[in-house]
Amino acid sequence: MSIDAKLALDAFKIDEESHIQIDQTRCKERCQTRYCLYVCPAQVYTLGQEGEILIRYEGCLECGACTIACDTTLAWNYPRGGFGVQYRFG
Amino acid sequence: MAEAEKVEVVIVGAGLAGLACAYHLAAAGLEVLVIERGDFPGSKNVTGGRLYLHPLRSFFPHLWEEAPLERHVTKERLTAMGKGSSVTVELSSERFKEKPYHSHTILRAKFDPWLAERAAQKGAIIVPKSRVDDLLWQEGRVIGIVASEAEIHADVVVAADGAFSFMVEKAGLGKRRKPQDYAVGAKEVIELTSGAIEERFGLSHGEGAAQLFFGSLTEGMFGGGFLYTNIDTISLGVVVGINALMEKEPGFELHRLLDSFKERPEVKPLIEGGHPVEYSAHIVPEGGLESMPQVYGHGILVVGDAAGLALNTGLIVRGMDFALASGALAAQTIMEAKKRNDFSPASLSRYEELLKESFVLKGLETFREVPRFLQNPRLFNLYPQALSESLERLMWIGEEPKEKISTTLWREARRAFRFSAVRDLLRVWRI
Amino acid sequence: MQIVVCLKQIPDLQQIRIKRDTREPVLEGLPFLLGDMDKNALEEAVRIVEQRGGKVTALALGSPKLRDTIKEALAMGADEALLLIDPAFADSDTMTTAKILAKAIEKREYDLILCGEGSTDNYSGQVPSRLAEILGLPQVTYVRQLEFTEGGLRATRDMEEALEIVEVSLPALVSVTSEISEPRLPSLIQILKAAKKPLQEWTSEDLALSAHEVGKEASSLEVISNLAPEQERKNITLEGEVDEVVEQLTDAFTREGVIAR
Repeated sequence: MSIDAKLALDAFKIDEESHIQIDQTRCKERCQTRYCLYVCPAQVYTLGQEGEILIRYEGCLECGACTIACDTTLAWNYPRGGFGVQYRFG
Repeated sequence: MAEAEKVEVVIVGAGLAGLACAYHLAAAGLEVLVIERGDFPGSKNVTGGRLYLHPLRSFFPHLWEEAPLERHVTKERLTAMGKGSSVTVELSSERFKEKPYHSHTILRAKFDPWLAERAAQKGAIIVPKSRVDDLLWQEGRVIGIVASEAEIHADVVVAADGAFSFMVEKAGLGKRRKPQDYAVGAKEVIELTSGAIEERFGLSHGEGAAQLFFGSLTEGMFGGGFLYTNIDTISLGVVVGINALMEKEPGFELHRLLDSFKERPEVKPLIEGGHPVEYSAHIVPEGGLESMPQVYGHGILVVGDAAGLALNTGLIVRGMDFALASGALAAQTIMEAKKRNDFSPASLSRYEELLKESFVLKGLETFREVPRFLQNPRLFNLYPQALSESLERLMWIGEEPKEKISTTLWREARRAFRFSAVRDLLRVWRI
Repeated sequence: MQIVVCLKQIPDLQQIRIKRDTREPVLEGLPFLLGDMDKNALEEAVRIVEQRGGKVTALALGSPKLRDTIKEALAMGADEALLLIDPAFADSDTMTTAKILAKAIEKREYDLILCGEGSTDNYSGQVPSRLAEILGLPQVTYVRQLEFTEGGLRATRDMEEALEIVEVSLPALVSVTSEISEPRLPSLIQILKAAKKPLQEWTSEDLALSAHEVGKEASSLEVISNLAPEQERKNITLEGEVDEVVEQLTDAFTREGVIAR
């Protein structure tokens, strides 16, 4: 089951603004490890063609694992009230 | 200029700890405001999960009769997984079938709204869909919060905002979050009929099973799998240390780990024909006592996951009972502080005392060494593999004549358990 | 200016889950919201009263959950809430709903009744017109703009390809579209203050309605089934050179009515 199919099971209320920011220059210069690609259970982070990190904040499950793993540039907050994933089972 | 309002207590987060605190404070007649960023209490929360009720009965007498609990657990299983084999230990006990029941499986999007309603009946105001952005300070003490440009002043702020607590960070009470102190879990809720669940797990009506898995399913990483039976769903998931995920070469995504876990012959028949209905993820505090933040400050208390109150001993995973109890103890502290009209750290330190006297910090103290012990990779690759292989060799009848049991055992033991094993065993003894 | 705004409590459609085997929506445990266009109507009412003075009454009919759901209307600026809650009201169709609402409105003083053009869940769009009929009021539908004149209101109606401007004297019933306003997001302070605003509840008895006059018994509309559309995948694989495949794909899309040639 692909990650997209998994995420499609959930109800998301998508804010227009992303709650995740990355300084791409700093990220490219300072980070060799790219832990965000592997610690995120929703695969919010993928690698772009130019080595930049692409962010699909819409599918974020708001766990915070990325921020714990990244010590370079990730600026992560919870989505605004009423936005983001809304679990129906939990 | 932002608008301002004053209440006696602001609680950030309508999870178990926050709601437990609100319930007790409101019952005592205090003016309590609970702010929740989700659409409703529980909508952002995830459990494995199972709730142990016995430690909580004195804190919340008579609360549980009408609670939306799923199944009471009567069957405990532990599975050590090798590459192509596994060993499962199953405990069934009549004691688990006696009322009041020992533990129940729950789903948070059902349970938390119910608890919120109980707190609201007592008089707590619960406001969903609002994110708390900041703390308000005056002369070094917390005097309230800021949420969507409004300021709410309060005598005490209770940080109940979960394992990734911005409030603890903003209050300067926490240490830097270390990857080795947290695990990340991913769970699927899989829909099945309750009849199928009872048949597959050999349960009577209303009874439930809980199963923990460790070994090759996590590809040698710190962590494991879990399965809990709900009324008509199964909660199935994997939890892996963030540190372990970071160090894994080549990288391995958690959701792929969950998929291969679902394909394991030990799991697949249990969920066959079921439809996944939700995918969720959450971080879990794994650092134990050593990585806890300070739980009180000037005008602020920290409860539940935000305070790192979770315990994984490998055999037992608990956190929700700690959360509920810590919320109740924070409420007791606030009521006492209110009488003195003193919300200084000296006054609020009473909360830490209460935690220490309770099962919460006593539990964490007893298992103080466990988090470091569990960082031992041999637990997740060598031992489960060796255990299931050895038993397999013991059971195997091939063309050649069967050797003496003791010969097999001795050879297997020497193959798998070197000097390090003795050290590991001694460490288990200390736990 | 006394304005009554009719609001409907609806399940949060974004959170509805469809049962895979039966295609039934799972409504149990869903959080409730106020209808989108109902909130447009409320916003307009609050703005009118902010400018011209008066009072906004939020009127709603529904389950006991309304007590919680209506707080949003009070936080948005309604001065008071009037809730019609009675188990006997359950399963009322649009006709019966309009009848019950009218009974309640008749007991109040009002200059203007504002409604959303249709509800977010069923969108049958019948209650406003039925209500105007029962109350004997002039009605203006599809209103995207309202201005006050000396004798009453000037309303701009959205006729899709044209705008129609009409004038109406008060009292009147106006049903609005989403273009009329942007509902405000109440602040936490307003939410807290809302808890202290007056909230009145009436049952069928208060409205002098007997059990036969309300609910399922009085309703002529019966819902036979409520299922999600079937979503069968056709799983067609197109093979060949790019040009051929593109041709086949556009053909397939045309056949399915996805695109027109």
